[in-house]
Amino acid sequence: MQIDFDLIRRAQAGDHAAFNAIVQAYRKRILGTISRLIGRPEDVEDVGQEVFLRLYYSLDQLRAAEVFEPWLYRLTVNAAYDYLRKQRRRGEARMADLSEQQVMMADAAAGTRISDQERERAKVREHVQTLLSSVSEEDRLLLTLKEVEGLSLKELEKIYRVKENALKVRLFRARQRVLKALAREQEAQQKALTRDEEGACKSFTDESGELR
Amino acid sequence: MTRLDDQLQRLFVAYRRACPDVEPSATFMPDLWERIESRRRFALEFRRWARGLITAAAAACLVLASFVYTPASSEPTFYSATYLETLQEDQSAIVDYNAAVGAEVFAPQEPR
Repeated sequence: MQIDFDLIRRAQAGDHAAFNAIVQAYRKRILGTISRLIGRPEDVEDVGQEVFLRLYYSLDQLRAAEVFEPWLYRLTVNAAYDYLRKQRRRGEARMADLSEQQVMMADAAAGTRISDQERERAKVREHVQTLLSSVSEEDRLLLTLKEVEGLSLKELEKIYRVKENALKVRLFRARQRVLKALAREQEAQQKALTRDEEGACKSFTDESGELR
Repeated sequence: MTRLDDQLQRLFVAYRRACPDVEPSATFMPDLWERIESRRRFALEFRRWARGLITAAAAACLVLASFVYTPASSEPTFYSATYLETLQEDQSAIVDYNAAVGAEVFAPQEPR
Protein backbone atom coordinates (compact mmCIF):
# COMPACT_ATOMS: atom_id res chain seq x y z
CA MET A 1 0.00 0.00 0.00
CA GLN A 2 1.67 3.18 -1.21
CA ILE A 3 0.49 6.24 0.64
CA ASP A 4 -0.03 9.54 -1.10
CA PHE A 5 2.78 11.90 -0.19
CA ASP A 6 0.38 14.80 -0.30
CA LEU A 7 -1.42 13.23 2.65
CA ILE A 8 1.86 13.02 4.55
CA ARG A 9 2.66 16.66 3.68
CA ARG A 10 -0.73 17.74 5.01
CA ALA A 11 -0.22 15.71 8.19
CA GLN A 12 3.25 17.26 8.55
CA ALA A 13 1.63 20.69 8.29
CA GLY A 14 -0.60 19.79 11.25
CA ASP A 15 -3.73 18.62 9.44
CA HIS A 16 -5.38 16.24 11.93
CA ALA A 17 -7.73 14.79 9.33
CA ALA A 18 -4.77 13.79 7.15
CA PHE A 19 -3.05 12.15 10.11
CA ASN A 20 -6.28 10.30 10.95
CA ALA A 21 -6.44 9.07 7.36
CA ILE A 22 -2.86 7.72 7.57
CA VAL A 23 -3.62 5.95 10.86
CA GLN A 24 -6.82 4.47 9.49
CA ALA A 25 -5.02 3.22 6.39
CA TYR A 26 -2.36 1.37 8.36
CA ARG A 27 -3.69 0.62 11.83
CA LYS A 28 -5.18 -2.82 11.07
CA ARG A 29 -1.99 -4.02 9.44
CA ILE A 30 0.22 -2.57 12.13
CA LEU A 31 -1.91 -4.02 14.93
CA GLY A 32 -1.76 -7.44 13.24
CA THR A 33 2.03 -7.23 13.02
CA ILE A 34 2.29 -6.15 16.65
CA SER A 35 0.06 -8.99 17.74
CA ARG A 36 2.39 -11.49 16.06
CA LEU A 37 5.49 -9.75 17.37
CA ILE A 38 4.52 -9.47 21.02
CA GLY A 39 2.05 -12.34 21.29
CA ARG A 40 -0.19 -10.62 23.86
CA PRO A 41 -3.54 -9.60 22.39
CA GLU A 42 -4.50 -7.49 25.41
CA ASP A 43 -1.53 -5.13 24.90
CA VAL A 44 -1.67 -4.85 21.11
CA GLU A 45 -3.70 -1.62 21.03
CA ASP A 46 -1.47 0.00 23.60
CA VAL A 47 1.69 -0.73 21.59
CA GLY A 48 -0.13 0.25 18.38
CA GLN A 49 -1.01 3.64 19.84
CA GLU A 50 2.61 4.08 20.88
CA VAL A 51 3.66 3.43 17.26
CA PHE A 52 1.29 6.06 15.88
CA LEU A 53 2.24 8.47 18.65
CA ARG A 54 5.89 8.15 17.61
CA LEU A 55 4.80 8.55 14.01
CA TYR A 56 3.00 11.78 14.87
CA TYR A 57 6.02 13.30 16.56
CA SER A 58 8.54 12.22 13.94
CA LEU A 59 6.48 12.77 10.81
CA ASP A 60 8.28 16.01 9.97
CA GLN A 61 11.52 14.05 9.47
CA LEU A 62 10.04 12.11 6.57
CA ARG A 63 11.27 13.32 3.19
CA ALA A 64 9.94 10.78 0.63
CA ALA A 65 6.78 8.70 0.34
CA GLU A 66 8.68 5.53 -0.68
CA VAL A 67 10.39 5.26 2.68
CA PHE A 68 7.18 5.72 4.66
CA GLU A 69 6.32 2.03 5.03
CA PRO A 70 9.78 0.76 6.05
CA TRP A 71 9.93 3.68 8.43
CA LEU A 72 6.54 2.84 9.96
CA TYR A 73 7.70 -0.76 10.30
CA ARG A 74 10.85 0.43 12.02
CA LEU A 75 8.74 2.38 14.51
CA THR A 76 6.62 -0.75 15.00
CA VAL A 77 9.64 -2.97 15.58
CA ASN A 78 11.14 -0.46 18.02
CA ALA A 79 7.89 -0.13 19.96
CA ALA A 80 7.47 -3.92 20.09
CA TYR A 81 11.07 -4.31 21.20
CA ASP A 82 10.63 -1.70 23.95
CA TYR A 83 7.48 -3.48 25.08
CA LEU A 84 9.18 -6.89 25.20
CA ARG A 85 12.13 -5.44 27.08
CA LYS A 86 9.80 -3.82 29.62
CA GLN A 87 7.93 -7.10 30.02
CA ARG A 88 11.17 -8.95 30.66
CA ARG A 89 12.15 -6.37 33.28
CA ARG A 90 8.78 -6.67 34.98
CA GLY A 91 9.02 -10.46 34.84
CA GLU A 92 5.30 -10.73 34.41
CA ALA A 93 3.69 -14.12 33.92
CA ARG A 94 2.63 -14.51 30.32
CA MET A 95 -0.07 -16.79 29.04
CA ALA A 96 2.69 -18.58 27.13
CA ASP A 97 4.41 -19.32 30.44
CA LEU A 98 1.33 -21.03 31.77
CA SER A 99 0.52 -24.63 31.05
CA GLU A 100 -2.34 -25.44 28.72
CA GLN A 101 -4.41 -26.56 31.68
CA GLN A 102 -3.84 -23.25 33.45
CA VAL A 103 -4.85 -21.35 30.31
CA MET A 104 -8.03 -23.44 30.09
CA MET A 105 -8.77 -22.77 33.75
CA ALA A 106 -8.18 -19.05 33.23
CA ASP A 107 -10.54 -19.11 30.26
CA ALA A 108 -13.13 -21.07 32.21
CA ALA A 109 -12.81 -18.61 35.07
CA ALA A 110 -13.37 -15.76 32.64
CA GLY A 111 -16.54 -17.49 31.58
CA THR A 112 -15.50 -17.84 27.95
CA ARG A 113 -16.43 -20.79 25.86
CA ILE A 114 -13.68 -21.43 23.40
CA SER A 115 -14.18 -23.57 20.38
CA ASP A 116 -11.88 -26.44 19.43
CA GLN A 117 -10.48 -24.37 16.60
CA GLU A 118 -9.68 -21.50 18.93
CA ARG A 119 -8.10 -23.92 21.40
CA GLU A 120 -5.94 -25.29 18.62
CA ARG A 121 -4.90 -21.76 17.63
CA ALA A 122 -4.05 -20.91 21.22
CA LYS A 123 -1.94 -24.06 21.37
CA VAL A 124 -0.05 -23.08 18.21
CA ARG A 125 0.50 -19.54 19.51
CA GLU A 126 1.77 -20.85 22.81
CA HIS A 127 4.04 -23.37 21.11
CA VAL A 128 5.63 -20.85 18.70
CA GLN A 129 6.02 -18.23 21.38
CA THR A 130 7.75 -20.71 23.64
CA LEU A 131 10.10 -21.62 20.80
CA LEU A 132 10.77 -17.97 19.99
CA SER A 133 11.56 -17.26 23.62
CA SER A 134 14.74 -19.30 23.12
CA VAL A 135 16.26 -16.39 21.18
CA SER A 136 16.84 -12.75 22.12
CA GLU A 137 14.07 -10.16 21.64
CA GLU A 138 15.89 -8.67 18.62
CA ASP A 139 16.22 -12.03 16.91
CA ARG A 140 12.68 -12.97 17.81
CA LEU A 141 11.35 -9.83 16.12
CA LEU A 142 13.58 -10.30 13.09
CA LEU A 143 12.57 -13.94 12.69
CA THR A 144 8.88 -13.09 13.07
CA LEU A 145 9.08 -10.32 10.49
CA LYS A 146 10.80 -12.65 8.03
CA GLU A 147 9.05 -15.95 8.61
CA VAL A 148 5.62 -14.96 9.86
CA GLU A 149 5.05 -11.53 8.34
CA GLY A 150 6.73 -12.65 5.15
CA LEU A 151 8.87 -9.54 4.65
CA SER A 152 11.64 -9.85 2.10
CA LEU A 153 15.31 -9.34 2.90
CA LYS A 154 15.22 -6.09 0.90
CA GLU A 155 12.38 -4.81 3.05
CA LEU A 156 14.16 -5.89 6.22
CA GLU A 157 17.30 -4.15 5.00
CA LYS A 158 15.35 -0.88 4.76
CA ILE A 159 13.75 -1.37 8.16
CA TYR A 160 16.91 -2.31 10.04
CA ARG A 161 19.33 -0.24 7.92
CA VAL A 162 21.67 -3.20 7.94
CA LYS A 163 23.34 -4.93 4.97
CA GLU A 164 21.52 -7.95 3.56
CA ASN A 165 24.41 -10.30 4.34
CA ALA A 166 24.47 -9.30 8.00
CA LEU A 167 20.73 -9.89 8.16
CA LYS A 168 21.12 -13.32 6.57
CA VAL A 169 23.71 -14.29 9.18
CA ARG A 170 21.51 -13.08 12.04
CA LEU A 171 18.48 -14.85 10.64
CA PHE A 172 20.41 -18.07 10.13
CA ARG A 173 21.73 -18.05 13.69
CA ALA A 174 18.32 -17.22 15.15
CA ARG A 175 16.71 -19.98 13.14
CA GLN A 176 19.35 -22.47 14.27
CA ARG A 177 18.65 -21.59 17.88
CA VAL A 178 14.91 -22.04 17.41
CA LEU A 179 15.52 -25.36 15.64
CA LYS A 180 17.65 -26.54 18.54
CA ALA A 181 14.86 -25.58 20.95
CA LEU A 182 12.39 -27.51 18.80
CA ALA A 183 14.68 -30.55 18.76
CA ARG A 184 15.07 -30.39 22.54
CA GLU A 185 11.33 -30.13 22.97
CA GLN A 186 10.70 -33.13 20.75
CA GLU A 187 13.34 -35.13 22.58
CA ALA A 188 11.66 -34.34 25.91
CA GLN A 189 8.28 -35.31 24.48
CA GLN A 190 9.75 -38.58 23.19
CA LYS A 191 11.22 -39.36 26.59
CA ALA A 192 7.92 -38.60 28.32
CA LEU A 193 6.11 -40.85 25.85
CA THR A 194 8.57 -43.70 26.46
CA ARG A 195 8.15 -43.30 30.22
CA ASP A 196 4.37 -43.40 29.85
CA GLU A 197 4.57 -46.54 27.71
CA GLU A 198 6.87 -48.22 30.23
CA GLY A 199 4.47 -47.24 33.02
CA ALA A 200 1.55 -48.69 31.06
CA CYS A 201 3.46 -51.93 30.42
CA LYS A 202 4.26 -52.27 34.15
CA SER A 203 0.59 -51.87 35.05
CA PHE A 204 -0.22 -54.84 32.78
CA THR A 205 2.41 -57.09 34.33
CA ASP A 206 2.54 -58.40 37.88
CA GLU A 207 5.57 -58.25 40.15
CA SER A 208 7.11 -61.40 38.69
CA GLY A 209 6.86 -59.88 35.18
CA GLU A 210 4.08 -62.21 34.10
CA LEU A 211 1.16 -60.78 32.13
CA ARG A 212 -1.96 -60.42 34.23
CA MET B 1 17.65 -31.06 10.34
CA THR B 2 15.57 -30.78 7.13
CA ARG B 3 12.61 -32.49 8.77
CA LEU B 4 12.82 -30.08 11.69
CA ASP B 5 13.24 -27.19 9.27
CA ASP B 6 10.03 -28.15 7.46
CA GLN B 7 8.25 -28.58 10.75
CA LEU B 8 9.36 -25.14 11.91
CA GLN B 9 8.23 -23.61 8.63
CA ARG B 10 4.81 -25.24 9.02
CA LEU B 11 4.63 -23.96 12.59
CA PHE B 12 5.34 -20.41 11.43
CA VAL B 13 2.58 -20.65 8.81
CA ALA B 14 0.17 -21.99 11.43
CA TYR B 15 1.22 -19.20 13.80
CA ARG B 16 0.47 -16.63 11.08
CA ARG B 17 -3.04 -18.09 10.80
CA ALA B 18 -3.46 -18.36 14.57
CA CYS B 19 -2.72 -14.65 15.00
CA PRO B 20 -5.17 -12.97 12.64
CA ASP B 21 -5.23 -9.22 12.00
CA VAL B 22 -6.57 -7.34 14.98
CA GLU B 23 -9.62 -5.14 14.64
CA PRO B 24 -8.99 -1.84 16.41
CA SER B 25 -11.51 -0.98 19.09
CA ALA B 26 -13.88 1.98 18.82
CA THR B 27 -11.78 3.97 21.28
CA PHE B 28 -8.54 3.51 19.38
CA MET B 29 -8.50 6.95 17.71
CA PRO B 30 -9.81 8.96 20.70
CA ASP B 31 -7.28 7.23 22.96
CA LEU B 32 -4.50 7.92 20.48
CA TRP B 33 -5.37 11.63 20.33
CA GLU B 34 -5.59 11.73 24.10
CA ARG B 35 -2.03 10.38 24.28
CA ILE B 36 -0.81 12.83 21.64
CA GLU B 37 -2.34 15.75 23.52
CA SER B 38 -1.00 14.58 26.87
CA ARG B 39 2.53 14.27 25.44
CA ARG B 40 2.22 17.72 23.86
CA ARG B 41 1.06 19.20 27.19
CA PHE B 42 4.02 17.61 28.95
CA ALA B 43 6.42 18.95 26.30
CA LEU B 44 4.98 22.45 26.61
CA GLU B 45 5.19 22.34 30.39
CA PHE B 46 8.77 21.08 30.21
CA ARG B 47 9.69 23.82 27.73
CA ARG B 48 8.15 26.45 30.00
CA TRP B 49 10.15 25.21 32.98
CA ALA B 50 13.33 24.99 30.93
CA ARG B 51 12.84 28.56 29.67
CA GLY B 52 12.28 29.78 33.26
CA LEU B 53 15.40 28.01 34.46
CA ILE B 54 17.48 29.46 31.62
CA THR B 55 16.22 32.97 32.43
CA ALA B 56 17.01 32.50 36.12
CA ALA B 57 20.49 31.17 35.30
CA ALA B 58 21.18 34.12 32.97
CA ALA B 59 20.06 36.58 35.67
CA ALA B 60 22.31 34.88 38.24
CA CYS B 61 25.22 35.10 35.80
CA LEU B 62 24.62 38.82 35.30
CA VAL B 63 24.53 39.47 39.05
CA LEU B 64 27.76 37.52 39.62
CA ALA B 65 29.45 39.26 36.69
CA SER B 66 28.47 42.66 38.08
CA PHE B 67 30.07 41.70 41.43
CA VAL B 68 33.26 40.54 39.77
CA TYR B 69 33.70 43.50 37.43
CA THR B 70 32.70 46.32 39.81
CA PRO B 71 35.85 48.62 40.07
CA ALA B 72 37.58 48.27 43.44
CA SER B 73 38.00 51.36 45.78
CA SER B 74 41.03 53.59 44.99
CA GLU B 75 42.86 52.81 48.26
CA PRO B 76 43.75 49.16 48.45
CA THR B 77 42.89 47.69 51.81
CA PHE B 78 45.80 45.31 51.70
CA TYR B 79 49.55 46.04 51.94
CA SER B 80 50.98 46.37 48.43
CA ALA B 81 54.62 47.39 48.99
CA THR B 82 57.47 45.00 48.31
CA TYR B 83 59.67 43.58 51.06
CA LEU B 84 62.64 45.89 50.21
CA GLU B 85 60.46 49.00 50.20
CA THR B 86 59.09 48.02 53.61
CA LEU B 87 62.58 47.38 54.94
CA GLN B 88 63.81 50.73 53.68
CA GLU B 89 60.84 52.54 55.16
CA ASP B 90 61.44 50.75 58.43
CA GLN B 91 65.14 51.79 58.55
CA SER B 92 64.34 55.44 57.86
CA ALA B 93 61.82 55.28 60.70
CA ILE B 94 64.55 53.96 63.04
CA VAL B 95 66.91 56.75 61.95
CA ASP B 96 64.19 59.36 62.60
CA TYR B 97 63.55 57.84 66.01
CA ASN B 98 67.26 57.85 66.93
CA ALA B 99 67.58 61.43 65.86
CA ALA B 100 64.60 62.32 67.98
CA VAL B 101 65.91 60.60 71.11
CA GLY B 102 69.56 61.58 70.41
CA ALA B 103 70.81 58.02 70.55
CA GLU B 104 72.89 56.05 68.11
CA VAL B 105 72.05 52.66 69.52
CA PHE B 106 69.72 51.61 66.81
CA ALA B 107 71.59 53.26 63.97
CA PRO B 108 72.04 50.90 61.11
CA GLN B 109 75.53 49.52 60.85
CA GLU B 110 77.53 50.22 57.74
CA PRO B 111 78.79 47.02 56.21
CA ARG B 112 82.52 46.66 56.59
